[in-house]
Amino acid sequence: MSAIHLQNLVKEFGDFTALKTMDLDIADGEFMALLGPSGCGKSTTMNMIAGMEEPTSGKILFGERDMAGVPMGRRGVGFVFQNYAIFTHMTVRQNLAYGPRMRGAARAEIDRRVGAIAEMLQLAPLLDRKSDRLSVNILQRVAIGRSAIMEPAIFLLDEPLSNVDAAFRAVMRTELKQLQRQFRQTMVYVTHDQLEAMTMADRIAVMDHGVLQQVGTPLEVYNNPANVFVARFIGAPGMNLLKGRPAESDRGLVIDLGPLGVTPPLPDEIAPPVRATRGEVLYGFRPEQVALAERGLSMPVSFVERIGARTIVHLGEGENAVRAVFENDVGLSIGQTAVVAPPASSVRVFDAATGLAVKAG
Amino acid sequence: MSAVTATILENEMGARTKPATPDEGSRLGFRLTLPAQILVLFISAFPLLMQLYISVTDWSPLSGAGWWNAWEMWNSFANYTDLAADTRFWSALQRTAIVMLVCVPAEFLLGLALATLFADEFPGKRIFYSILLMPMMVVPAVAGYMFFMLFQSGGPVNDILSRIVGTPVTIAWLSDPNLALIAVMIADIWQWTPLMFLILLAGLVGVPEDQMKAATLLGANAWQRFTTIVLPKMKTIIIIALAIRVIENFKIFDTLYIMTGGGPGVATETISVYIYKVTTQDLIWGYVAAIALAILIVLSIVAVYAMKRMAKAREVPA
Amino acid sequence: MADIVFRNVTKRYGATLAVDDASFTVNDNEFFCFFGPPLSGKSTILRLVLGLEVPDQGEILIGGKPVNSVSPAKRNVAMVFQNLALFPHMSARDNVRFPLVERKVAEAEIEKRLADVAAKLHIGHILHKPPAQLSGGERQRVAIARALVRDPAAYLMDDPISALDARLREETRVELKRIQRELGKTLIYVTHDQEEAMSVADRMAILENGRIRQIGAPTEIYDRPASAYVARMLGSPMMNILPSVRGASRIEAAEGAIRINDAKAPAEAIEIGLRPEDLKVRPWSDNGTAEEGSGRPARVFEVEPLGGYTVVTLAAGQARLRALLRGQPDIRPDAMVAISCEPARVHYFGQDGGAL
Repeated sequence: MSAIHLQNLVKEFGDFTALKTMDLDIADGEFMALLGPSGCGKSTTMNMIAGMEEPTSGKILFGERDMAGVPMGRRGVGFVFQNYAIFTHMTVRQNLAYGPRMRGAARAEIDRRVGAIAEMLQLAPLLDRKSDRLSVNILQRVAIGRSAIMEPAIFLLDEPLSNVDAAFRAVMRTELKQLQRQFRQTMVYVTHDQLEAMTMADRIAVMDHGVLQQVGTPLEVYNNPANVFVARFIGAPGMNLLKGRPAESDRGLVIDLGPLGVTPPLPDEIAPPVRATRGEVLYGFRPEQVALAERGLSMPVSFVERIGARTIVHLGEGENAVRAVFENDVGLSIGQTAVVAPPASSVRVFDAATGLAVKAG
Repeated sequence: MSAVTATILENEMGARTKPATPDEGSRLGFRLTLPAQILVLFISAFPLLMQLYISVTDWSPLSGAGWWNAWEMWNSFANYTDLAADTRFWSALQRTAIVMLVCVPAEFLLGLALATLFADEFPGKRIFYSILLMPMMVVPAVAGYMFFMLFQSGGPVNDILSRIVGTPVTIAWLSDPNLALIAVMIADIWQWTPLMFLILLAGLVGVPEDQMKAATLLGANAWQRFTTIVLPKMKTIIIIALAIRVIENFKIFDTLYIMTGGGPGVATETISVYIYKVTTQDLIWGYVAAIALAILIVLSIVAVYAMKRMAKAREVPA
Repeated sequence: MADIVFRNVTKRYGATLAVDDASFTVNDNEFFCFFGPPLSGKSTILRLVLGLEVPDQGEILIGGKPVNSVSPAKRNVAMVFQNLALFPHMSARDNVRFPLVERKVAEAEIEKRLADVAAKLHIGHILHKPPAQLSGGERQRVAIARALVRDPAAYLMDDPISALDARLREETRVELKRIQRELGKTLIYVTHDQEEAMSVADRMAILENGRIRQIGAPTEIYDRPASAYVARMLGSPMMNILPSVRGASRIEAAEGAIRINDAKAPAEAIEIGLRPEDLKVRPWSDNGTAEEGSGRPARVFEVEPLGGYTVVTLAAGQARLRALLRGQPDIRPDAMVAISCEPARVHYFGQDGGAL
């Protein structure tokens, strides 16, 4: 009933195409993150689901039901705005009661529902506060409560944590996730922060320039990015990508990285398709999976950042830069040369011309 | 912060020598603005005190004595007791109140309706916008002549009415004691609705769009959005707009005086017209001062009330 | 020389103590960070250095000279603002030239310095563009160039990259550090992002309500926080700080889920601090005997995969602990696990929150 299906969805603003033919199925009760940089079309997609904007073409279905022409007030979606859009001239209670009041619910019924939702969100002691001077996590709860009281089948959240300062974001993330568990509604969450998407979502839809790049669980998109954009966008830091050409060696297929030398042999599963690509490829591996080795890529250390539990070592420069994340006792410093090698299983290869991942088999 | 602030900062960093402590700063500020403060005090307080002084005398420019010698004609509070018994004053006050109670709400409702209309986009909006603001630019005296001509018994208003009804209409708008006031009010509404519209439009576009969308998503229809979000958010600006118009309308004079001269008889004699007549025809200035002061007190009460409401509304910023 | 010294500096705004008895020395050529929550006094310290504020008490020295009564213009420190404050109607070149033109420097000298700064910051090729056509990182460099062109003894930055998106911030902070190294100038930097502070700072000061809580190299503060407050400020996820109970030979916390066999543990400790990355999490073996160093079982409450790491939230009675595990371990919610931590990695905090 509350699954969302986007079919061939297109949105154009004059000459500008905000969204190019998007197909996406969001399951009932799923927490789906729409992730991408600003201008990627994620907010446009969300606004169309909410009914704030009409698609240029394509369909939006809630379950079986086509939403074309259904005004936003009748779609039964809860929407949490980036700035929460709390009615600042009202008390918390009036904010929560707003939806039922507008639908003409009886006073006693409204009181009962407001009481229940306030209890659930721990807002009961704050009900008679004016809502213009509440802290940001309370605002978030009021915004969620105000929508939740209508018992929407679908919840849409538009970057709700982007105005929250970094230290507090972790707390808010946990709180949001627990709320989703309580309500069990389908949630669509728009964000540009890959960390938020990774930690909260059941699945992530990565978008760029109005095009859906990949849909998958957080670990799927992290481990097997479909293309170079996803590889770079997911992870902190993003995936290392080095340009090179496939070359045969006596140990098997390797990538010739030019000045950096040749890579260790590629694993057997991806060697045949890589061999089949003509031209340049990108040799990719995650910074966290880099290990110091006897043989491998020999690179000068250009910078070392120790950030709490991790040490990020920057190797090489420009096109041939690599970042590696180590434990703090790695003992590398600027000017030294490190020999690093990614484990064969963690290597991903991309076609340099198309940017697409070269898939095994 | 903007480039402007940055420039200010740069200038400040370049120009200022020793910054003062807060205490020193405020004392210095007081000393520097003292001459200006004295001047302002003199300008606003002097005429008031002079008026108060004259209002307790029988002084008139014809008395031969300078106003500063008015104490010789001291009559204690006779002017005020006369005023309380002056039926012409009271009926002028009543008439002024009627004009205000009709014009201000009419201007407000029309202005609000127009502002709501103009908050959305529609073709030709800019042109309509300019046309709509024009009455405000017209000098009130000119507006007076315009309506004076419009409401002549052979004038365009009757002409149009004749065409609508089909038989000749010869209503004596300005010489019928009952209709003259209506004509005057129509002129006032024509001229001042645009101001109301302008102020209210400014308030309307300031209503946060997200909150409007949120209300829509929660199922509020257009009327509900208007009453629960728009009106409360515009409270301050509505009070300001009403206060401005109440005070201005209370002083209605030029348009009216040119259209009817306060007549026929005293049918359109408002407070301002009455004061004008007493001043220029009867020349009893001590009495005039008393009337003016009484009215000032009434208007001040309105203004203070409005300002209090504004201060209260500002505690809850939108 | 451009070392900057604060001696017992206090600044009040009305009844609020914005900066409370601050004493520190920023060495010449040092990248020094002020880090703290909003309103902890970071920006006030910058304004005091700039001369936009005058201390109520105490003394400020720049390059060994007291500057309390020296005007901002004569202090020879430059500021890069939070939102960069580039003039949108001017090209990058005119933006950079601006401070010199304002000061009526000779044209030849302006061009010389402009070329010099442009070369150092690699912005020669974008000087003709207006700010609107520049990327976030380029705008950043133009703003720095504008601050540097005056050749200040020190420069100050107030959260200069907070407006950039996460990916660009990671790159820009490395760039900033490189620029500072190459220029060899004293840089005072204010940020609210702990990752950024740890990444760029040679030394940093942690602030709380206008008071400096600890000064030191980031690694030093991270490894040996002076108090529970400081310990919580650095590290993501935050350090687990739990009330502890002292037994005969060991310390217990989280209702027995944590047992530390540390004979040397200070007796006055009322709380222990455990960094998430120091926690070891193993599946609970049901044979009744806990493995060496671990206590009673805890339940896995939440698993957050970050890709290279996994954050696991553990529940032991009312206590919640977070562990940062490397890679993508196969741990599921509601699994029972044993938690352990090397005694040498445990932080102890006393009654007043101070480290022991």
